[in-house]
Amino acid sequence: MNKLKKIIIADDNPGILDAISILLEFEGYDVLGLQNCDSLLTMDSELPDLILLDIWMSGTDGRDICKHLKQKPATCKIPIVLISASRDIEHSAIDAGADGFLAKPFEMNDLLEKVKKHIS
Amino acid sequence: MATKISNDGYKEIFNISPAAILVIGIDAPLYTILDVNEAYLILINKTREALLGKGILSAFPVDPTEEESKNIESIIFSFERVISSKKQHTLINCRHASPRRGREEFREQYWTTTNIPVLNENGNVKYLIHSTAKKAELNKLGEKEKTRFEALKNQRQQLYSTFMQAPVGIAIFRGPEYIVELINPPLCELYAKTAEEMLGKPVFEVLTHAKGIGFEELLDNVLLTGKPFRGQGLASPLMRSGKLETVYLNLVYEPFREDDGRISGVIAIATDITEHINAKLQIEEAEERARLAVDAVGLGTFDLNLLTGEMITSQVFANIFGFDAPVPRREYVKVIHPDDQELRSKAHKAAPETGRLFYEARVVWPDKTVRWVRVEGRVYYGTTSIPVRVLGTLLDITEQKKIKEALAESEQLLRNITTAAPTGLWMADAAGGITYVNKTWIDWTGLPFERHLGAGWLKAVVQEDKEKVLEKFANDLAKRIFHEVEFRINHSDGTIHWCVVNGGPQYRNEGTFVGYIGACVDITEQKHLERQKDDFIGIASHELKTPVTSIKAYAQVLEKMLLKKGEIKEAGMISKMDMQLNRLTSLIGDLLDVTKINTGKLQFNNSEFNLNILVKELVEDMQHTTSQHTLIESLAPPVVVWGDRERIGQVITNLISNAIKYSPNADEIIIQSELKENEVTLSIKDFGIGIAEQNMDKVFEQFYRVSGNLQHTFPGLGLGLYISSEIIKRQGGRIWVTSREKEGSTFGFALPLRNKKKT
Repeated sequence: MNKLKKIIIADDNPGILDAISILLEFEGYDVLGLQNCDSLLTMDSELPDLILLDIWMSGTDGRDICKHLKQKPATCKIPIVLISASRDIEHSAIDAGADGFLAKPFEMNDLLEKVKKHIS
Repeated sequence: MATKISNDGYKEIFNISPAAILVIGIDAPLYTILDVNEAYLILINKTREALLGKGILSAFPVDPTEEESKNIESIIFSFERVISSKKQHTLINCRHASPRRGREEFREQYWTTTNIPVLNENGNVKYLIHSTAKKAELNKLGEKEKTRFEALKNQRQQLYSTFMQAPVGIAIFRGPEYIVELINPPLCELYAKTAEEMLGKPVFEVLTHAKGIGFEELLDNVLLTGKPFRGQGLASPLMRSGKLETVYLNLVYEPFREDDGRISGVIAIATDITEHINAKLQIEEAEERARLAVDAVGLGTFDLNLLTGEMITSQVFANIFGFDAPVPRREYVKVIHPDDQELRSKAHKAAPETGRLFYEARVVWPDKTVRWVRVEGRVYYGTTSIPVRVLGTLLDITEQKKIKEALAESEQLLRNITTAAPTGLWMADAAGGITYVNKTWIDWTGLPFERHLGAGWLKAVVQEDKEKVLEKFANDLAKRIFHEVEFRINHSDGTIHWCVVNGGPQYRNEGTFVGYIGACVDITEQKHLERQKDDFIGIASHELKTPVTSIKAYAQVLEKMLLKKGEIKEAGMISKMDMQLNRLTSLIGDLLDVTKINTGKLQFNNSEFNLNILVKELVEDMQHTTSQHTLIESLAPPVVVWGDRERIGQVITNLISNAIKYSPNADEIIIQSELKENEVTLSIKDFGIGIAEQNMDKVFEQFYRVSGNLQHTFPGLGLGLYISSEIIKRQGGRIWVTSREKEGSTFGFALPLRNKKKT
């Protein structure tokens, strides 16, 4: 049996974390939900295949983390999809090096499409 | 016993009488000689036959060398006088050259002639007795007497000449009828008559208009009493060149005395002073007019004698002081208000120095009402520069004072209002320069009044807003339209405040533009609240999205699970729940968009995209939301546009969903695109309820909703079309609607076609 693809989802809202985790697990992914991003900045092993990263999290800007990860050789290859309730910052998300952008509230099919696109 | 004398006896007496007598008939102008006595025949050296039955002139044949043939005229006057007066009349020293007996030469002789009327039983003149006594024969007079007589003659000649040439009018009126015996040219001129018209006639018969107004009595009095009369400026109506005029005369009536002292007439001396009187009347009239004018404007006048302290005042003066008639000066002074007495004294003390008297004081009327008066006067100085007189006027200024006070009050009130108003107030002249700002504005800016004048006020405006503010004002001023602009000022409290200034162009009554008057309101708090509102909506809608996202996630996982289990019905219910969530999402999105529009934060992510593909995608999506309507596409050849694909998609979605929503009874919606030279248009046509004419231009306004009875049928926030129009406008396009009520509407927009470049 193939090892499940690992997806890290970071959002400070537990409801979203829970619902998306259920959905992605239902779709057959290994999901790790994070309510804060501190561990993301330091991770260097057991790297995920995809990171879904909320931009507006309490105390942290998802774009800064994205930039940071994209600058680190260890993590720079991990696809990152930034998520925000504000559609208008899609540009800055791409500028921060993100591979994709999703605006809340999104259709689950759109999410799954993005996930499939970046995990081959 | 007295013996009655017979007629023959009288005849005898008549003939032997030493007095030369003629009996003259009254058949003027002939005056036939009825009888003549011996003495007369001897006197004039003629036969009875030569005279009887002839006219009087044959008794006095006129000597062609005789200069003074006027004598015969005076005899005839005498006849006329006697006939009219029925009294005897004597002519003294009547000179006449009569032919000498037996010779063909004339001899100068002097006569005294008396004419006596003989009356019939009716009292009328029957005939005249003309008796002549030879005064003296010159050749019989001694040389001395002859000289005296010549002197007398010269004197008489001189008198006559003086009389005729005198610059005053002189006339002699004889007898009780006042027959004009003599009249000189000035008086003829005065009466506007010729001497011929006057001579020998009763004066009042000629000057008919002077009759019956007292002149006869004056003359009678002189004639009776011998007391001369002197009158000045007597008005006398006279007919002059066909016009009745009033002539003013200085008159002297002197009795005309005969040698025996008897008064036989009146010498009238008249001087025409009409011009003088008229001039005087004109002055009087002018004075009267001036007085009336002064009275009419309610000006009292006074004439104060500074030497005696006496003051003459006019009626109006007295009235203004509350008196019925002028009173002595001290009475006026008494009624001046006690508080103003000192002021009055000071004014009087200062007057001789300045040459002017001026003060305003209150006077207390008898009924205790208080009136304000203004005294103005000029000081007149005597020859030694001593002030002697003050002439001046008095005016009741109570009403003026009241108006002034009312004005001052309203001015004070206005000042209080403008000061107390929490609003800045300003005025600008026609060139746009500030001429006034109120205290509120001064307080806000912390800059003194002078610093705001002209363009100085701009100092208070924050640097970034100055250009905008100036440009807007210059523009509105040029067009003279209502001015409104928002800007920030550096407030004296050290913070930045928001202001909205507005003002209207001002015109004088006749239409001249004079500038602007306006107000300025501190809208910092309002701005702050707006910001708070926008922030709140922004945060709220953002916060709402988070739970909606998780609900959607749960719902969709649940739907998948149910579908996997084959629970189709339950999965369908979850699907419907998801659609409601989409609706909720859309409402949240609208609120957020409006906030962004209002705060200028609506952003666009422009890119090139194919409009046809976008339309086809959206039509397909929207077709899923309705089973009743068929969405019919009629698209122009594919075209690439530059813009925010998602935002434009949002507009198309909004227009199609409106078309579906507002055509509940129709089954078709036509989506049509057209390619034009510089733009591409897309229109969405429905066959629904349509829009009433009067609401057509409101549909793109914020919060406009379909109103009326159908209101509840069509829910919504009324934001969709507003957002759509803002998006299209900001993408450089146009949006419009055509509609007929109950037939349907067509909403369309146009987007410019442009080269690939970022906006």
